[in-house]
Amino acid sequence: MDWQALALSVKLSFVTLLFLLPIGILLGRWLAYRQFWGKSLLQTLLALPLVLPPTVLGYYLLVAFSPNQGLGLWLVNTFGTTLIFNFQGLVFASIIFNLPFAIHPMQRAFAAIPREIREAAACCGMRPSLVLWKIELPLAWSGIISAMVICFAHTLGEFGIVLMVGGNIPAETQTIAIAIYDRVQSFDDHAAAIMSFSLLLFSMLTISFTYWLSARSERTHD
Amino acid sequence: MKVSLLTKQLARSCFLLMLLSPILRAAEIPVIAAASNIKFALEEISTAFHQETGKTLHISYSSSGNLTRQIQQGGPFELFLSANAQYVVQLYQQHKTLDRGQVFALGRLALLTHIGSGLILDEQLNGLKQAQQSGQLQRIAIANPEHAPFGIAAREILQKQQLWDTILPHLILAENAAQATQFASSGAAQVGLVSYSLALAPTLKNRVRYLLIPDALHQPLQQTAVLLNNAGDTAKLFFHYLLQEKSRGILSRHGYTLP
Amino acid sequence: MTDSGIHITLQQAAPIPLSVQLDCKSGELLALVGPSGSGKTTVLRAIAGLYQAQNATILCQNEIWQNSVQNIFLAPHQRHVGLVFQNYALFPHMTVLENIQQAISQLPKQQRQTQALELLKKVHLEGLERRYPKNLSGGQQQRVAVARSLARQPKVLLLDEPFSAVDQVTRRKLYRELLVLRESLSMPMILVTHDLDESTLLADRIALLHKGEILQTGTPEFVAAHPKSATIARLMDQQNLFTALVIAHDQAKQKTHLRWRGILIEATYQEQFAINERVCWMIQSANILLHRRGRPSNGNKENPLQGQITEYMESSGLAHLRVQVDKKLDTTISINVPLHVAKRNTLGLHEKIGISLLSEGIHLMPYQVLRNES
Repeated sequence: MDWQALALSVKLSFVTLLFLLPIGILLGRWLAYRQFWGKSLLQTLLALPLVLPPTVLGYYLLVAFSPNQGLGLWLVNTFGTTLIFNFQGLVFASIIFNLPFAIHPMQRAFAAIPREIREAAACCGMRPSLVLWKIELPLAWSGIISAMVICFAHTLGEFGIVLMVGGNIPAETQTIAIAIYDRVQSFDDHAAAIMSFSLLLFSMLTISFTYWLSARSERTHD
Repeated sequence: MKVSLLTKQLARSCFLLMLLSPILRAAEIPVIAAASNIKFALEEISTAFHQETGKTLHISYSSSGNLTRQIQQGGPFELFLSANAQYVVQLYQQHKTLDRGQVFALGRLALLTHIGSGLILDEQLNGLKQAQQSGQLQRIAIANPEHAPFGIAAREILQKQQLWDTILPHLILAENAAQATQFASSGAAQVGLVSYSLALAPTLKNRVRYLLIPDALHQPLQQTAVLLNNAGDTAKLFFHYLLQEKSRGILSRHGYTLP
Repeated sequence: MTDSGIHITLQQAAPIPLSVQLDCKSGELLALVGPSGSGKTTVLRAIAGLYQAQNATILCQNEIWQNSVQNIFLAPHQRHVGLVFQNYALFPHMTVLENIQQAISQLPKQQRQTQALELLKKVHLEGLERRYPKNLSGGQQQRVAVARSLARQPKVLLLDEPFSAVDQVTRRKLYRELLVLRESLSMPMILVTHDLDESTLLADRIALLHKGEILQTGTPEFVAAHPKSATIARLMDQQNLFTALVIAHDQAKQKTHLRWRGILIEATYQEQFAINERVCWMIQSANILLHRRGRPSNGNKENPLQGQITEYMESSGLAHLRVQVDKKLDTTISINVPLHVAKRNTLGLHEKIGISLLSEGIHLMPYQVLRNES
């Protein structure tokens, strides 16, 4: 078991969650509550990572952040580094790739809150931020948790993008999925087997937990 | 609007994270890009280096072509060990390297097959020809010639033996030398034309049969090491270490010919 | 002079047409009545600040809640408004007590609790503090909603069809409770309903809303008896609506003569309609007298008519009759009589009876095409 790779994967998942939690809540909420021109286009864009091959996204990231021109060059000149071949780059790619997994469940959870309940809260004198905190989040929490769990698991298993923009650098971009690939190529079937089985178990636990959670929230909402 | 404000804050924190990361990576461990065929030899050399100097290295393995591309795109590598000299020359001409590099070993190829297969391995590849003609041959693995020098050499050999065209429909192109070896050793491909060094891997003992191919059949595979522009002291130290007696001994044991 | 009432004007062409002017005094209960789709809920939401009408002024207890000209618009949480939603909108993840406390969160904990418990008592729900909304009956949920809206100490109390989701028995109970409760309330109250009986029972005044426009305001009885137009009469569910021609005005006798389908009838003096002008007229059931059977007929009866009962229904102590007036084959008049009267006169289907239309009950309105008349 490559503990360094596992630690890196876990770290990547958590950091991704840290960003996706507020993004998911705000975007999911906004899409749940508002109608506006261009909404379907936005929703299409946000759903793209669901069907897009990771290599396509990887390709565009490589092109965009290549330090020889454009955005990548500007980043290098301004900050001394760019968003490929390092951990930050993986975080960035991971956030984009997990957007639909974060937004969709949260959007559904917020949309399920009857509008009248939010309005009643406003009529109770609660300003919008308080309505979010005391009414909406408690009522949407199971959707939010589901989203976070799925994103965590999904990030843990990311391969294609990490391979393309990561560079397989130990302790920096060699996640556990890459490590498994690496072990296989080193003919180390034993290590590959242990790591694969662990991830399999973890994925099963994740899915079961998510199902349990959504069943539970259905009961409380009756 | 609330969303755009938060997005701005997020973008800011993202860049801050990027700024901090060089500082966070306190003890800078240099990253070395190495062609995958050299994996086992290099691990041993790296361990010896650590024992002698106390310094650590991170090594990223892939095909030489792939690594070249990554270096062109600003990959954080300080030292590049390529499976041929051409990729190094390319990088030198693009001003990515300190100099033209140094050949530190010559690579060899081998025919490799799973221990249970009945395939006849011989230097002229006649056994292979037979298997193909009789319809027994299903899949043969080589590294992808597009970006792996060992693949280029494999193609050369097959072309020289007039086997390339007939073998083509049976060909599996692996991503790099290591994957080609893995395909052949696991039996996914019946036979592989792979790096000799990998065929010698201790983990493959008793699982495979192999045969060294004469180097007359292909252009020399000049394993070239070159320091890249951002090479630090440790990387430079290792570069020189690679060329010393102890390393050469390790390379020889792993099937490389020494220049 | 302090004004503790609410004054509302809403003008808008699209997306929802509105033409509303309403005033409600503190302590007064105004019912906003109209069919579905008439815009009643929109008006209520506009008052609460949940909907922003384009040209509006809303002034409540001297506070400007909205003024389109001055570009002022207070958000709902900035207005002290109590709104009881049609489906109560209780917070499902909070207990009854917590629901009510949300409206008084600015108070210290002890005080919050005491006040909330007092309000619960006021709506007769003591003992239910720790229940969750899903474990309450419809009537109980409604009372919690009312308590929560009152907790805010609102400057206006708004009720959006609050009784529509409960059964009739519970509804009657809730009516009585509301009538008692309002005695202790000193704010304007606006109730939205499509149920005319409800508005008659509960409201001091009604405002009739039709396609976003207030057609008439006044006490329920007055609007029912003196609708300004046939449309309003229809909306007030007046059954006896006909057209006629003004023949003459008799100022001395305070009568206006009409020709209705060949018969001459007398209404009270309504000089605003010209001679030879076509008009619509209506008469409420209360102004139609039944001739007692077996009694010799008096010559003096106003507007006597003979007819035959074509429909006869009994419900809640009344007999509902439709009488086909002789010689006018396609005209029927609806009257309701107490059941004992119907029994005493042995009324039933196909029975022939005589009725009188009291002239003071014949109310004239400008002419418009009526569906039931050719």
